Amino acid sequence: MDTFTLFIILLAIPLLTALAAFTCQLLGTPRAVLTAVHSVGSTLLLLVSLFAVWTVYQQGELLAGHNWLHLDGLSSLFLAILGVIGFITGIYSIGYMNHELEEGEVSLKSLGTYYGFFHLFLFTMLLVITSNNLILMWAAIEATTLSSAFLVGLYGQQSSLEAAWKYIIICTVGVAFGLYGTVLVYANAANVMPNPGDAIFWSEVLKHASLLDSSLMHLAFIFVLIGFGTKTGLFPMHAWLPDAHSEAPSPTSALLSAVLLNCALLVIIRYAILISAAIGPEFPQGLLLVFGLLSVAVAAFLILVQRDMKRLLAYSSVENMGLIAVALGIGGPLGIFAAMLHTLNHSLGKTLLFCGSGNVLLKYGTRDMNAVKGLLRVAPLSGALFAGGALALGGMPPFNLFLSEFMTVTAGIRAGHLWLVLLLLALLTIVLAGLVRMIVMSVLGKQPDNVSKGELGWQTTAPLAVLMVLMVLMGTHIPQPLQQLLKQATTIVLNGDQAGISELHALEQQLPGATNGAEKTALNTVLNTATNTASHSSAQEMSRE
Amino acid sequence: METIALATMLLPFIGALLIALSPQRYAKVLCTAFALLATLGMGWLALSYLGSGKTDVTIPLYSFGHTQIFGFVIDRVSTLIGFAVVSLGFLISLYSCGYLTALNREHPHDGSNRYYALLLIFIGAMAGLTLSSTILGQLLFFEITGGCSWGLIGYYQSPKSLRSALKALIVTHIASVGLYLAAAWLFAKTGTFELTAIAQLSDADKLVVFGGILFAAWGKSAQLPLHMWLPDAMEAPTPVSAYLHAASMVKVGVYIFARAIMSSDTVPHQIGVVGVVMATITMVYGFLMYLPQKDMKRLLAYSTIAQLSYIFLALSMSTFNSEMAFDAGVAYIFNHAYAKSLFFLVAGALSYACGTRMLPKLRGMLKSMPLLGIGFCVAAMAIAGVPPFNGFFSKFPLFAAGFSLTGEHWWLMPLLIVALIESVASFAWLLMWFGRTVPGEPSPELASAQPLPLSMKLVLLVLIVMSLVSSVIAANWLN
Repeated sequence: MDTFTLFIILLAIPLLTALAAFTCQLLGTPRAVLTAVHSVGSTLLLLVSLFAVWTVYQQGELLAGHNWLHLDGLSSLFLAILGVIGFITGIYSIGYMNHELEEGEVSLKSLGTYYGFFHLFLFTMLLVITSNNLILMWAAIEATTLSSAFLVGLYGQQSSLEAAWKYIIICTVGVAFGLYGTVLVYANAANVMPNPGDAIFWSEVLKHASLLDSSLMHLAFIFVLIGFGTKTGLFPMHAWLPDAHSEAPSPTSALLSAVLLNCALLVIIRYAILISAAIGPEFPQGLLLVFGLLSVAVAAFLILVQRDMKRLLAYSSVENMGLIAVALGIGGPLGIFAAMLHTLNHSLGKTLLFCGSGNVLLKYGTRDMNAVKGLLRVAPLSGALFAGGALALGGMPPFNLFLSEFMTVTAGIRAGHLWLVLLLLALLTIVLAGLVRMIVMSVLGKQPDNVSKGELGWQTTAPLAVLMVLMVLMGTHIPQPLQQLLKQATTIVLNGDQAGISELHALEQQLPGATNGAEKTALNTVLNTATNTASHSSAQEMSRE
Repeated sequence: METIALATMLLPFIGALLIALSPQRYAKVLCTAFALLATLGMGWLALSYLGSGKTDVTIPLYSFGHTQIFGFVIDRVSTLIGFAVVSLGFLISLYSCGYLTALNREHPHDGSNRYYALLLIFIGAMAGLTLSSTILGQLLFFEITGGCSWGLIGYYQSPKSLRSALKALIVTHIASVGLYLAAAWLFAKTGTFELTAIAQLSDADKLVVFGGILFAAWGKSAQLPLHMWLPDAMEAPTPVSAYLHAASMVKVGVYIFARAIMSSDTVPHQIGVVGVVMATITMVYGFLMYLPQKDMKRLLAYSTIAQLSYIFLALSMSTFNSEMAFDAGVAYIFNHAYAKSLFFLVAGALSYACGTRMLPKLRGMLKSMPLLGIGFCVAAMAIAGVPPFNGFFSKFPLFAAGFSLTGEHWWLMPLLIVALIESVASFAWLLMWFGRTVPGEPSPELASAQPLPLSMKLVLLVLIVMSLVSSVIAANWLN
């Protein structure tokens, strides 16, 4: 298939689904039609995005539409997350919204709105991921705010409307800073690049990054980090996040936390690559480290005192985004690999928990942990999955987040940040305590009299079970293609840092501890072949460029 | 061998999954059956190790790239301790079948799936931890046992027990920071997670790695300054206390410390000194805390703290190149596991039969419940280190090794004398409670006691026998 066609199909699916859903809403078609449109759209998106990821995996970087559209190892990781989480939350939405419809919480009309904006939101995020145009990237981030604000305010209550309003205001102001950063980079690139017309494309600017002005780039990264950091939910720009996440319908909360934050993060990473190439990695890494650590620290203590379950989970998102920023800030192949892995792991875990909290909400009608008691007795399967997910999010093995948190720690030690690591581990202990407190308060205990026993149906439990299986799988054995994908993403973030890339390969080819002579030679052979293939593949990459 | 080891480790996890999916009435049977299978697997593993002429094997199992993530090490220590923790797991699950029933006078309650599933996961994690050849594997199972202990200690879900459970989780998780650090440091310096790589580290790096491991070990084995979770954890159902706080969870700490010492040719001097001094302080503290205790389980908790200090003392002394002290320490882990489990299970049997475990209310045990009287007697003697019970055969070589080291390290002398005094004093204290509770006319509580179910009696009998013979097994196995 032609690359351009692939991009068009990829982008068209959610857009057309959204249009179809809005049309259905206008025509007032029955629920079944809406649901069918939504299911077909979600499934197709999953298939096509996985196909696109597979294509990148096979062929490497894809560029199309006169450089406007771009997909490489890094963005295909985020695309994979979008496809999988979009599909899972899509399935979960059907069960959740049907229940809300039966309860009379939403009307058929707002169901149409929901499905329409759900896919529009997916479309805008897809645009962020696939955009190579710096301005389009910014515009797409803005568009995600607008499309998801309607989802946040779906219930139309005072508190949800206020949350949506706060969300729009803070994020628009925040992302405006991102625009300054974008414009600074563009203006500078247009001045220095031989072909100013190319200065708008990330991949082109990257090739000429060494020409960029150092002081302007310092400034630009600050703007970018503040701007897109707002959207990523980094402290102190996170204020919108707890409100928006807690007021949105639960599948949307999952989508916001597991995909949207990542998209904004992707933009930051894109700029970090660019600016690191221009002025060296120390400055971006230092800033990421500071903001990341602050986010983890503040969120850890806020997690400990929350009464509202979804607010607690929202703060946990702040904490995890902080952790990813810290891992990026630590840098080096291991740190970046840990960051990539944690992005994926956090998305899986947080989707599980937000969907789980959706089940709580449907069962109890409240998110207040003082009222939600005994989930394990009310709905044993949901309760067990929810508790398992919470422990996983706290970094308990054998779940996946343990692995990426441990990698971050190892990367920190390798880079010589001993005190930072100790502080981080202490903070993670506090987070664990907060999450366990949530389990104690809401999953355990006696069930209230006014809540009926029983699960809500497969559509709201099966997605949780699937996520749990994925999390255990990712925690015990990362599938080979995924390892490759993560490594490709890491290589792109390292951006030609030859020392780093060879270290990445060395990490894999690590010599086992005590080896005798014979083994060593055998291993050296393996090592040499590996380095050969490595240089071969990097040569390939170069020739592609 | 690889298959057997893998099966031993994974069977309990599979069993736990099955229990989670099956109705409550099958939970007991499944748990006991899978624990039995794991015990047989561990026994088989030990026998095939013996059959191979006791040659140590390391089996790499799972690698990322060329970095080994997880593997098995099969040697004299891992098979011995592995067998102890898994077989005790089986005995405890058998005991639980009788204990967690509606007939129980202290906690009338039928054991739920959650209980048996968590117990099995715990057994599996212990098997994995003892067999692990990498520090990352140890960390993994260290954390799993922490998570399970939280679920088991808070099992009754009373506010107090949930608080204690959270305390246990958080304190041991803080301790695990040490192990995180040690694992990351080891990897950063040598590029591998294999424990044997500790030997390649420079002295300064060893100090960090051993420091981290020792800190983690203190937390899990309830030593000062991280001991406070253990006495509170007595809120757990008694079989859980017996398993977690006598046989397995608290042994995780000393085991990882022992494993690290084994993997390294030399251990920094400072680690040995800090280990010995802290062990002595904890020992004295543990003894002083005996004095105000009236609740049998709390008394046992402090006794466990003091006993674990002995193990730390032995292991720390072994860092001054004393093979004998090391063997004494490992044998101590093995012997203490059986004796202290017996003691806890006697306490549990008293709760079951009389509805109380407050020592002042118990009198005339021998007359009304002879098995419990004998069990109490054997356990007390074994813990105090009276020959011919197993405690003696681990305490004696410990002191022998210690005093032979005093020639080189004079400062050990006063500490060893303190330990000796503690040993005599705790013997006296246990003897006092023995005199008050075991002989004489039964108190009203004991006179109206209900008979014990067969499964509980059987387990107590096995443990009484093991308290006599375990030292022979350990001594033969280690040499």
